[in-house]
Formats: sequence, C-alpha cells, structure tokens
Amino acid sequence: MQRFLDPAVLSRINGLDLIAKTVVDGFVAGLHRSPDFGFSQEFAEYRAYAPGDDLRHVDWNLFARTERTYLKRYRGETNSQLTILLDASNSMQFGSHAVSKMDYARYVAASLFYMAIHNQRDPAGLIVFDDEVRNSIRPSTRSGQLPRLLAGLEQAEPRARTDFAKPLGHFQELLRRRGIVLILSDFYEDPETIVKAIEPLRFHGSEVVLFHILDPEEIKPKLRGPSILVDLETEQRMEVIPEYIKGEYRRRVDRHLEQMQEKARAAGLGYHLLVTDKPLDEALSEYLHLRPGGA
Amino acid sequence: MGFFAPWFLGGLAAVSVPVFIHLLRRHTTTPRPVSSLMFFERGTQSSTRHRRLRYLLLFALRALLVVLLALAFANPFVRRSSVSASEKLLVIAIDDSFSMRAGTRLADAKRAALAVLEKRAGAEHAQVMVLGGDLAILTQSITDSTQLKAAIDGIGPGDSHSNFGELGRGMRALAETVHTPIELHLFSDMQESNMPGNFADMVMPGNVSLVLHPVVTGTIPNWTVESVEAPGQLVEPKKAHVVAVIAGHETPAARRTVSLVVNGAVTATKQIDVPAAGRATVAFDGLDVPFGESRCAVKIDSADGFPGDDASLFAVKRADPERVLFVHQASDTRSPLYFGAALAAAAQASFVLQPITPEQAADADPARYAFVVLSDVPAIPTLLENNLAKSIDNGGSVLIAEGTAGSHRERIPVFGGAVSEGRYYARAGGAAAVTQVDASHPSLKDAAGWPDVKFFYASVVDAGKARVLARLGDGTPLLLDRQMGQGHALLFTSGLDNVTNDLPLHPEFVAFVDRTARYLAGMERTAGPRLVDTFVQLRSPANEPVRSGGGSVVVVGPDGKRPLSLTEEASAQTLPLKQAGFYQIRFPSGRETLVAVNPDPRESSLKVIPDDVLGLWSGNPAASPDQTTAVVARKADASVWWWVMLLVLIAAATESVVASGYLGTQREEA
Repeated sequence: MQRFLDPAVLSRINGLDLIAKTVVDGFVAGLHRSPDFGFSQEFAEYRAYAPGDDLRHVDWNLFARTERTYLKRYRGETNSQLTILLDASNSMQFGSHAVSKMDYARYVAASLFYMAIHNQRDPAGLIVFDDEVRNSIRPSTRSGQLPRLLAGLEQAEPRARTDFAKPLGHFQELLRRRGIVLILSDFYEDPETIVKAIEPLRFHGSEVVLFHILDPEEIKPKLRGPSILVDLETEQRMEVIPEYIKGEYRRRVDRHLEQMQEKARAAGLGYHLLVTDKPLDEALSEYLHLRPGGA
Repeated sequence: MGFFAPWFLGGLAAVSVPVFIHLLRRHTTTPRPVSSLMFFERGTQSSTRHRRLRYLLLFALRALLVVLLALAFANPFVRRSSVSASEKLLVIAIDDSFSMRAGTRLADAKRAALAVLEKRAGAEHAQVMVLGGDLAILTQSITDSTQLKAAIDGIGPGDSHSNFGELGRGMRALAETVHTPIELHLFSDMQESNMPGNFADMVMPGNVSLVLHPVVTGTIPNWTVESVEAPGQLVEPKKAHVVAVIAGHETPAARRTVSLVVNGAVTATKQIDVPAAGRATVAFDGLDVPFGESRCAVKIDSADGFPGDDASLFAVKRADPERVLFVHQASDTRSPLYFGAALAAAAQASFVLQPITPEQAADADPARYAFVVLSDVPAIPTLLENNLAKSIDNGGSVLIAEGTAGSHRERIPVFGGAVSEGRYYARAGGAAAVTQVDASHPSLKDAAGWPDVKFFYASVVDAGKARVLARLGDGTPLLLDRQMGQGHALLFTSGLDNVTNDLPLHPEFVAFVDRTARYLAGMERTAGPRLVDTFVQLRSPANEPVRSGGGSVVVVGPDGKRPLSLTEEASAQTLPLKQAGFYQIRFPSGRETLVAVNPDPRESSLKVIPDDVLGLWSGNPAASPDQTTAVVARKADASVWWWVMLLVLIAAATESVVASGYLGTQREEA
C-alpha cells in the first residue's frame, strides 16, 4: 500500500481528487484503525451560528428554548479547522524528476483536504501566495468545498517570487479563528525572516506547521562540470564549479535546514522537511497528530 | 620531402572537426535552472582555466591524429642518397641485339658500361646481364671487378631481337628475390621496335631505379631486304621464282641494286626504285641451282650505316621428284588418277606417284619413298606392313584412305584400331558434310571449302590416341592423325575416289594433297627461311615410346660448330636458332636439310624511342635520357609511410588514455 503514497506513482494519476483519495485511503488502510477515528462525541461548547455553517450542527433544542441559533461543538471539532498556505512562487516549479515541488505540494494539500473534509468532517481552507495573496478559499465544511479547494490547487501555477512579509497582513485577516495552519513552501529565505513573518499566525492560538518541500537535487546537486545556473525567480545567471557543489554548497544547505528547524521550534512552530522523492505519509501523520482527539 | 599521393592532403580539412568540437561548440553550454542561487557562489575563472587546459590537450591530440592520418594517406617520402653501397645492387644490362651491330654501338655500350663499373664503390654488389632474345645473366651478384669486367668484355654481337618487356619481366623476377634497392643501367640503342605491345610490361618494380644509357641519339636511314619468298625444294630451276621485298626505314627515295646470290656467286642483278621510307618488290625468274642443297641470298648494295641487314638468306634444295608409294586395288583406278593428278598439279612437282597393287607391294621398301598411301585396300602383305611400321617408327609416314573396303576387315593395317561400322549416307538418301575442321594442322590449312564437300560413305573408327582433324555432321571422325614413333599415320575414313565423296572434284583436294604430301614428307618442318630465336622441331613429341632405337640428330651451326651437345643431339626435340646463317641438320630418319636463318626484320628499323617516352620509362620525365653523369647524384625516394602510421598509432593510444582519464573524472564527479 505504501506505493500508493509514492509521488512518482501519483504523478501518473490524473486529477487531484483521485490522487487525494488514493493517498488517504492507502494511508488509512495502513493505520488499521477506524476511518472515524478522532471524531469525538464529547460536548465542548456552543458557538453562535454564522452564515455558511452546516445547519445539521445547529442545536435545535436550544433554539426551541431560546429562539437563538447555536451550533453544538464537540471536542474533536474545536481546534481542527485546517488552512493551508501554499507557496506558488517560481522556485516551486523546480523538479529533477517526474514530480516537481509544486506537484508534490499539491498532492500533500489535496490529500490533507480530502482527509479533513471527507474523513474528519473538518472545515478546510486554502491560501495561495507568492509575493502577495493570489487566491484564498475560506475554511468550510459545506458540500462542494472539496472540489473548490482542489480547483484552487489546480489553478495555483508558479509565478513571481516568494515574499512572506508582504502577504502577512492578509494572512492575519483570513485566519481569525483558531485552527491548524500548514505552510507548504521551499523557504528560500533567511530562516529568521521567515519565522518572524509567520510567527504572528500563532497569536490566535492556531497550530502552525512549516512543511519545507525540497527536491533531492537541491540537497545533493549533481554537476558534471562547470555550469551556468539560472535562478528561476530572479533569472540571475551564475557560473559554478563542481568542487564548490561537493563542499561548500552542501554545508550551506545543511546549515539552512538546521536553522529553519531551530528557529521554528524556538518560535513554537512545527517543522517538517518533505523531500519530493519520499512518500506523503509524513505530512498526513503530522496533521492527525496535531488534530485534537486524533491518534 | 614530398608526397606520392598529394591529393590526400585535402583530408587536412578534417581538422575542422576537432576545432569545432573543442573551440566552437564549447561556448554553447545550456544554462541549467535552479530554484535559487542563494547557496551558490560564482566559480567562473578557475573553472574556465581548468577546462581549457584539459580540453586543449585532448584537442591537440585529436588534431594531430587527423593531420597524421592525412599525411599517411598522402604517402610521404624523403629523397635520400643514403642507401649505403652494400645495400644497393648495381645491375648492368647491355643490349646485344642484331641492331647493335650497326657502327660501333656495341663497343660504345661496353665502354660506357665499364665506365659505370669504374665509378662503383668497392663494396657495392653488381651483376652483368645481356638483353638479347631473352635476358641472360652473365654473372651473379658479386663485388669482384675483374669478373664483372671480363663478363662485359666477353659480350659479342648477337642476332636476336631484344624486347624491353623481357627486361621488365626479368627485373620483376629479380626484385622478388632481391629486396635491396636495385640500380639498373641499360646500355642500348633504344630501338622503338624493341618496345613491347603493352608499356606496362617494361615498367620496373618499385625498388628498381632505371638509368638509361642510349648509345645513339638520332635515327639513321637504313635499307634492308625485308623478306624473300622462294621455293624450299625445286625440280625445275627455270620454273622457280624468287620474290624479295626491299624496305627503307627513314630513308629517302633511292635506286638500289638487288642481287641474287647462289652459293656465293651472283647469278642475277636488278635495279629497283625504293620510295622514301617505303617498300619495293623485286622478282627473279628462274633459280639456277645445282642438285642438292644450295645456300642462296638476296642482297642489296650497301649504302647505309648498317650493312648487316643488307642480305636475306634462303636455302633451296634441287632434287629429282621424290617417289610416293600408292597402294591400291587393281580394280580401283580412280584413286591413283585423282591423287596423282593433284600431286602433279601442286607441290611444284616435287613428288611422283608410283601406283602399285598390294600383291606387288610385298617387297617394297617404304624407307625409299617420301611417304606411302594405302588407298581402299582390304589387306596388305605382312611383310609390307612390318616394313611400313618400322619406317614410321624412324620418321616415315603413311596416308590411309579407308574407302569401302574398310568395313570388311577387322583391323586397320599399321594404324591399328578397328572399323566398327561403315556409314553409307547415300543409302539414306543424302550426304554428310564436314562440320569440324582443325585448321591448325598443316594438312587442313586451306580447308575453307570442306563444308561444301559431300561425303557418301565413311568408316566409323575409334579415335583412341589419335588427333581428330575433321568430323562429319554426325560426329564421325573423317581425318585422324596419329603419331607413331617418330612418324605419323594419317587416316582418312572416306576414300580418295569420287565414289565415296566428291572431294576430288573440288579445288580444295589439290591443296589438301599438296599440304598432306609436304607434311608427310617432312618438308613442313624446315620449309622456308626462319628467324633468329625461333625453333626447328627435331623430333616429334614422344607420345608413344619409340619401338626401335631412335638415331641422333646432327646439327652444324652457321659458325661451323655443333650447337648441341651429344646428349642433346640424342634427345632434344627442338633446336633454338640463335644465330643468323645456315644450319645443316641431319634428322634421325637420315634426311638432311639446310635451314636459312635471318635476323628479325624489326631489328632493321633503327628509329629510337622518343625522349619523353624514355623519361616516362625511367620514372624521371624531366630529366634527359642520357643520365650517365647524373648517376652518382641520383637520389632514391624512400617512403616514410610506416613511420607516419606508427605516429598515428601512438597519437591514437595517447588520445584514448587522455579521453578515458577525462571520462573517469566525470564519473567521479557524478
């Protein structure tokens, strides 16, 4: 079943919905647990009805007594709103094999959306950004939400360059409620700058996790001879030699990854490195782990 | 230094391939996209320098490889005179053909050869050869100057016709055994008539350098008696005719006096006008010669620089007509009639027919007849058959005409073999015709009309070892020739009358009887004058063992000496005619003859080969043919192809090592 989580296998499947279903079903089957796990029946609180909420969750008994519409909330639902911030900058289109970083990010996001909406009944939303917010879909559990999210993923073509500071204000406006915030990006920026830009998202009590997506070639590049390299975001050119790649480059990348992890932990952010030739289960596990009442 | 095939230097253009690969294509590196350059550092300067150094070494090797390959194909050579004396063979060839008798040509050639020999280094090997009818080697490859000079001094004038093709063949054979460079010096009058039909025959092999020493520079006019037509045997001197052709080579029109000489005495003289560089024919009526063999000649007055060819010899034998024994049945009167008439009409009446019946022929001695004819006889006396067989063994001959009598006997007398059946074509309502004729046989040289002859009867005979000279349309052998000892038996499976065929009614019958009579009488072998370097057949090829002891041949040459040793006289089948003059030959059968031998008329044309052709032959067109003084300075062209190929191999191996090292480095980087 593990092979259904392999990105190389998934790249041969058309349609994000089918990919997501394949991944999640495969993943769940691998857990040997009930598909309804984490769906707690323990009452947690009432919440005032807001347009867009599912009417099935309205406490009609309370409405009969008070003529006010409240939603009955259970423990499994209180902190489980999922919002994914997807980096759609040009650097995400890099790929040394069949699956680019953007493809991999789409697979991860689609799988998470499928699991959240279809399996866990959690509201899920999407924000696509590069140096500004390009698309945002509010979290919801309404019918049609999943196709909307998948369509949003399909439309997220890489362009421009990454800037975390600039769209930060928009993030805060869009993420007023507590929940789980997952950021999918290659994080080609100074770790401190990144963490400083993302840290405010935690102030509402949300769980913020950084999924650092990298291609294996970016960690261990293969260079046969002196070559001219072109930056996908800035189009800047540079001639480099293999000797540098084998030595200094790898040290720099390792230090960057270490700093990302350290800074994120220090700021209370979750951090996971996802390499595009590895299966997707790590991202799904992390989501379930973060979700209250989860496994 | 030069190139044997310089057009291959065009291959140097292939150097552009490594130039393109290493110097031009290098700049078209495709940029490689990366997500971000934030972890990279520029390394342009060091990488470029490193790459240039490594690539230029490979480039240099590859360019060198291409250049060397082009050079190898162009076949470079170096001109050097460094062939040491001990490594070179000096070959001196002197032409002693008949034309070298003109003036002082041979003496000049020998003097020039001795001069070349004088300049030879002491350790240098040399060899002396004579070019006549063939290339004769006088010495082996030696360094002894005394022997070499003696060999040159001993060269005398010859009568042969030399051929430069023979020289080329000899040198090619020598070059196969001698692998050192050969320097061939040819001393000759460079007659144009000495060139072979194909120029390639006289081209020298690669390791032979030819140096020509013409002993004459220009062509001199020369008149000669080109040919003489005279009877070899005559009975009536007054009826004989002698026709001679007088030819002028590079001569003006002139009146020449032509004499007929018999046994040293001038018997007739005529004046004729010979056109410029043309020919004139003179005829003498009557040839008054005594009985026996006479030595005759046609001479012209000597008025040119080559008196040696002013006479043409021929031999004439005057004798009573030879008798031919004709055995026939008493009832058969047609055969002797037709055969005798034909024999009298032809062969210049050299034969007289003696018809006889088998009964009368019992005590006849076949050795006393020129040949014997057995015409349509069912049987002959045993005594005659034995005598005839003995005579044939010693060189006698017999003509057997089977006729219709052949079908009634079991065995053909003398000839052997049996008649299996007699085919009467007339009974089938028609006649057979000759379809196959062996025109190379003396009897059938004038048999063009034979297919028109109708044959009504023929005996079917097993050919066995006999040579079939003619066949009828149904494959029946008509005329067979079988050698028996030193003689021949000719079998005609039809008859000599006009009953079994209509051959006696055709003109071809006279020619057939004439040719056959001459052939059976042995006149064909020695008829007419011969040329030097031809052969006279002394004995028939020994197809069958000689039943009685064969006698010796006695030959006396023009110089009065016997050219054959005693062993050769007892066994030699042919006699090579090496000298001009009269050869007196006594055959094993006791028959004696005189053979006149003349030089090849082509030797009389003293026209020399043009200088450009001589230059082409010697491989140095620009040089003057007379290279006598330039011999020492001549340099040999030595090919260095092998050395260039060795360099190609070294360059290829080095290129492989460097390229493998480069690829190995790339794999390590990967």
